[in-house]
Amino acid sequence: MFDLVRGLAIVVSIFLAGNWLHAHGVPIPGGVLGLLLFYGAMLTGVLKLRWVERAAGLLLRHMVLLFVPLTVGLMDMGGILSRQAFAILASLVVSFLAVLLTTGLLARWLLHPEPETRKIQAAQ
Amino acid sequence: MIAHPGFSIGLTVACYAGALELHRRWRWIPTIVVACLPIIAVLLLVHEPYATYNRGGNLLTWWLGPATVALAVPMYRNGLALRSALPRLALIVFIAAAVGMLTAGGTAWLLGAPRDVILSAVPKSVTTPIAIEVCRQLGGIPQITIAMVILAGVLGATFGPFLLGLVGVWENRAVGAAIGSASHGIGTASLVRRSEMQTTASSWAMAACGVFTSLLGALLAWFIR
Repeated sequence: MFDLVRGLAIVVSIFLAGNWLHAHGVPIPGGVLGLLLFYGAMLTGVLKLRWVERAAGLLLRHMVLLFVPLTVGLMDMGGILSRQAFAILASLVVSFLAVLLTTGLLARWLLHPEPETRKIQAAQ
Repeated sequence: MIAHPGFSIGLTVACYAGALELHRRWRWIPTIVVACLPIIAVLLLVHEPYATYNRGGNLLTWWLGPATVALAVPMYRNGLALRSALPRLALIVFIAAAVGMLTAGGTAWLLGAPRDVILSAVPKSVTTPIAIEVCRQLGGIPQITIAMVILAGVLGATFGPFLLGLVGVWENRAVGAAIGSASHGIGTASLVRRSEMQTTASSWAMAACGVFTSLLGALLAWFIR
């Protein structure tokens, strides 16, 4: 329990710090600023992974709960959704395919084979 | 009573818990859809507008901020496991973020969608909390973004590995980077049973793609102001 409360306190404080920076002129959203601060703090060892692991796990596991209220708002959007259904779905499918295939092909081209894969190939 | 924030929160948590249970039994049931439908039904039944419900709903939405911060944990942990591939993966995912934003916004624009719909489409590849932030910053409609984000996730979870196989992408980190960039958490969750390295690369790519998209989004917001 203490672990969880300490972790949540750390994560919320970092979020508030990110929001503060955003309110004072940094154009990136507060949550993402917080993510970068947090990442930096773990890289430099200022924060230990084990202090926050449980709290972060809880937030990530139940993230769906957190976007239920916004999604319920779709009930007021039947009009625009049905008028724009084609544009929305086409944009979704085109962009999904573009991201998936460019990323996959770029990664195949740019990444060296994994050490394990290389060993298997050498053995053959 | 219904106007009390506690009511919305209680109703939301109860519906979410029920949806989780159904999802546990039947994997193909999407939690988010099953959680929202009964809430909408209740609101329609008692003739309460969405705005009344959302007074309490907002208190849950606020926690998306800390949840975004929490994404640093899988990013850090999986970043350690990817070691020397990290700089190249960062470059690849950065390009993925740009491609996703351009093709989503560009297609909607070509099809004559109104400005707010185009801007809602732009962040559709990334994890929900970040997508919502970028959408708001650009002046889009968060609900449209959420619907697109969920569908992008389902597409990747269902067809992602198959489509990558068609073009000859099998290497674990390449598959992970592609699914994480295109289909965020929903795609990543579908890789868990396939390969540990795919999951690692995918969780890292999902968080990184969110970060890059919000950096590019800030630039775009400044540009279209």
